Amino acid sequence: MNFRWRRAAAVARKEWFHIRRDPFTLTLALALPLAMVIIYGVAIDFNIKNVSLAVSDFDATESSRRLVDTFASSDYFRVRRADSPGQALQDVVAEKARAALVIPPRFEKDLGAGRGASAQVLLDGADNSTVGPVSLYVQTIQTLANARIAGANPVAPYDLRTRFLFNPELNSRWFVIPGLIVVIMAILSIFLTALTVAREWENGSMELLLSTPIQPIEIIAGKAAPYAGLGILAVAFVYVIARTAFGVPFEGNLLVFALGCLLFLATYLAQGLLISVVTRQQTVAMQLSMLTGMLPSNLLSGFVFPIASMPRFFWYFTMLLPARWFMVIARRSFLEGSTLAQLGVPLAALGVSCAVMVSLAARRFRRSLE
Amino acid sequence: MINRTMAGFIKKEMIQALRDPRMKFILFVAPLVQMTIFGVAISNEVKNIRLAALFDSKDYVLRDVYERAIQGEWFVPARASRAMAADPFELVRSGQADAVLVGPPGGFTRALGRGDAPLELLVDATNVTQAQSVEGYMRTIVQRVVQTDLHLPAGGAPIQFDIRVLFNPSLDTSIFMVPGVMTMLMVLTTLVLTNIAIVREKELGTFEMLISAPVSRTEVILGKTVPYVVIGMTNLPLVLSVAVFVFHVPMRGSVLALIVATFAFVCTTVAMGTLISTYCRNQQQASMGGFLFMFPAIMFSGLIFPIENMPASVRWMSAIDPLAHYLSLLRNIMLKGGDVRTLASHTTALVILAAVSGAISFKRFHTTLT
Amino acid sequence: MTGETVVEARDLVVRYGSFTAVDHISFAVKRGEIFGFLGANGAGKTTTIRVLCGLLQPTAGDVRVAGAGYADGETAIKIRVGYMSQKFTLYNDLTVGENLDFIASLRKLDRSYYLERRSDLLNLISFTKGLDATVRDLSGGIKQQVSLAAALLHDPEIVFLDEPTAGVTPAGRDRFWKLIHGIAERGKTVFVTTHYMDEAEQCGRIALMRDGKLVATDTPAGLKSTAFPEPLYELDPVARLNPADVAAWEEHEGFAFFERYGPRFHASPLNAEEWQRRRPELERQFRIRPVAPSLEDVFLRIIEGPR
Repeated sequence: MNFRWRRAAAVARKEWFHIRRDPFTLTLALALPLAMVIIYGVAIDFNIKNVSLAVSDFDATESSRRLVDTFASSDYFRVRRADSPGQALQDVVAEKARAALVIPPRFEKDLGAGRGASAQVLLDGADNSTVGPVSLYVQTIQTLANARIAGANPVAPYDLRTRFLFNPELNSRWFVIPGLIVVIMAILSIFLTALTVAREWENGSMELLLSTPIQPIEIIAGKAAPYAGLGILAVAFVYVIARTAFGVPFEGNLLVFALGCLLFLATYLAQGLLISVVTRQQTVAMQLSMLTGMLPSNLLSGFVFPIASMPRFFWYFTMLLPARWFMVIARRSFLEGSTLAQLGVPLAALGVSCAVMVSLAARRFRRSLE
Repeated sequence: MINRTMAGFIKKEMIQALRDPRMKFILFVAPLVQMTIFGVAISNEVKNIRLAALFDSKDYVLRDVYERAIQGEWFVPARASRAMAADPFELVRSGQADAVLVGPPGGFTRALGRGDAPLELLVDATNVTQAQSVEGYMRTIVQRVVQTDLHLPAGGAPIQFDIRVLFNPSLDTSIFMVPGVMTMLMVLTTLVLTNIAIVREKELGTFEMLISAPVSRTEVILGKTVPYVVIGMTNLPLVLSVAVFVFHVPMRGSVLALIVATFAFVCTTVAMGTLISTYCRNQQQASMGGFLFMFPAIMFSGLIFPIENMPASVRWMSAIDPLAHYLSLLRNIMLKGGDVRTLASHTTALVILAAVSGAISFKRFHTTLT
Repeated sequence: MTGETVVEARDLVVRYGSFTAVDHISFAVKRGEIFGFLGANGAGKTTTIRVLCGLLQPTAGDVRVAGAGYADGETAIKIRVGYMSQKFTLYNDLTVGENLDFIASLRKLDRSYYLERRSDLLNLISFTKGLDATVRDLSGGIKQQVSLAAALLHDPEIVFLDEPTAGVTPAGRDRFWKLIHGIAERGKTVFVTTHYMDEAEQCGRIALMRDGKLVATDTPAGLKSTAFPEPLYELDPVARLNPADVAAWEEHEGFAFFERYGPRFHASPLNAEEWQRRRPELERQFRIRPVAPSLEDVFLRIIEGPR
């Protein structure tokens, strides 16, 4: 197989003209990632605050009031009064509260008698994003309440000090934004190529191209190149926003990150081209892009849902997803400052997927000639 | 309400939609596959955290903490655990461990004897929620181990909270996730397909033939959308059966409520798909439009990120997101039994969204060419 | 045939933004006529047809189609006409039967009436493939015939055909035009646009459009005699001419018309005297014989010729 750069460059130039004259694609490719990073950067916050707590206080003594107050005065909870335990429960069902506190009538008495007093805390288990953090808060409040109300200040002989590395203030943005870059770019690249190229199959200009001596691999390289350029430009914009507007640090090596970026984009662009060859139809190309591009990169790449928490099968399965590898590179480059050596495995994995995807696409293109 | 023209329309659309084998795959098989993968794979639970601890053989308390930790579900041993002079920071940095316990000089056990034992926990905080949970778990474990090893009175604190998780006591992740995935899949088929089907006619020219007949706007719009509402509704029993029989998601509410909620949702997404189609002149734009809707719709649906935590400036996006409403409806009906006021408010929101989209589409739709 | 006017355009104007697609055209078509519309691509033919079918509101001017105009609402027009568009009228992924069923439902035809019409029309076009044949599998010619049947399903008085035989074989075109004549004989008015000159010959009257304007409306014979008042000759070069000589002849003011015609030339002199003067010189370079003007010549002269 002889690869002529000139032919590939000619395809690339033609593709570039198409893009330039299509303001829609251009705006999409550049403005969309920006808009999304800004909106989601602002919107997403994992540090749950002001959890609505329905309180039913049967005891109505000073101790119980101080207990309620311990909840209320923390940043974590916002108290709303309920007339009865039934009402409190109802509030949780009706989505007016995410948790309920039910204080039994003998609370203060039990406390005074040294019997140990208890109160019931009900958590809304229907929403995964709040249950975990809320139960942790409740434990913290329990310690606080014990100290303030019961005067029980068990001086623990130890002191557990936690150092949060790479993100000391547990800033949600630092967590989300590098991942968001990955997700958005994954979707966009598959999408753009799958669609624009599928259109060419539909109107026949692809066949025209294939009837010339051009090699399939040159077509792929030529078609992917301008989109890769757009993609890198978009990533650059997002990088600037992440660093300036959101203050996300970048501890790693820009070149390594750029390399990972390029490999990543190339893989997904090739995947888009493969989809276009296989489907030849825009409607189906889009559905397939969503299925193999958007949903997996959103859900299985380790963006929000940790891969370590998945069943063992998925630890291996997700190795097939380029997004998973670039997620590692992006996060480590921004927050941990990993070097080229440390990122060797993900980079190699990306390199392999890129090569595989490109050759698959080339092979399919060639087959469509026959 | 359905006259001869609309009946003919509906019949034609259904035939077209069902005849394409690739479309059938996407409509019926792909949702099932996705549900399985995502229902099984993704979770917010924190598991398999790789823990390392640096201690010498005489430091039995710290060793007990470590062993206790890795016995449970949360922690697993990091590969380089009994490292001699390893730098704990490097262990995390290199990706070999997610968390490291470091005792004070001389050992934790001896320091406990003195009554002043700092214990350092280094946590990789790139994933914010994970880091918080890790700290919480470790705190509990250390407390229990120290209590046991030092034979401290197990009395515990005077005030104890009896914590119960409602609706999902086992914190089974698929019970949170599966309704969310159901939502996503249903919108893929309804909104995206409707949009594309409408634009396809415009692009191919059959639209011109259509409006050369004396058909009214109502007939054309309803004729093209009703079939997709029907197709969308048929997705429900399929997807619901998988949820209930494969994932054991409880179905505590009434089936009727579920059908009504789904109907409102499907009508809304079809209406929105129609609205998007009035802005698109060709299929490529239609696909882009679908994507531009889907991505934020998933982000603001509450499946991945907590809505309550979003600042008010962006929270309105969830209010106009049909996925967010449907997800709440699904969770409320299936897990909580269905609270009438909640159902009413979300369903009303859907109806309003559908009506507004429908009205605008109607206005924008012309039975002449422009 | 009563000679009553069934389609009329009066000072019709259609503008898209700053672009004028149809520029003040007027014509009248009588019942039972086969009226042809000729012109280059972009001349305004398709736009005009769309207006006449109720698909496009004119910017100015008036149209009356079977007594209805836009003032009565576009539906009034749509009910009375049948339309076969340039692009595909039928759905490729549906069968012939399904396509016709659908059109019947669009036109709100009563079921038994529809079945009768359907068998009549399928007979008319000698359709043998069966109602279960998928449109995608049909040949171009048969597809067009089925499209015609679809356009006639509701028995309209007037039918508009926009380049109906594009991409069809000569035999197919011939069959199609036989159908058109058959329909006209039954009293239907046929309004057709075409690029093919031999088809244009078969029309009762032809209108020529150029750049949105109507430049001529007449019977084929009338057009020919108007375009070529002087006789037309075919000039067959004796030996290869060099381009300079050809250019010289083309620019020559002795000729009202001098155009290439394949490897030869067609020429019409300004008047008889000019012809006498030029003839000897011409005879040295060409073999000359008189020919009857064809519509192609008319087209070249009126539409593409210099102005």
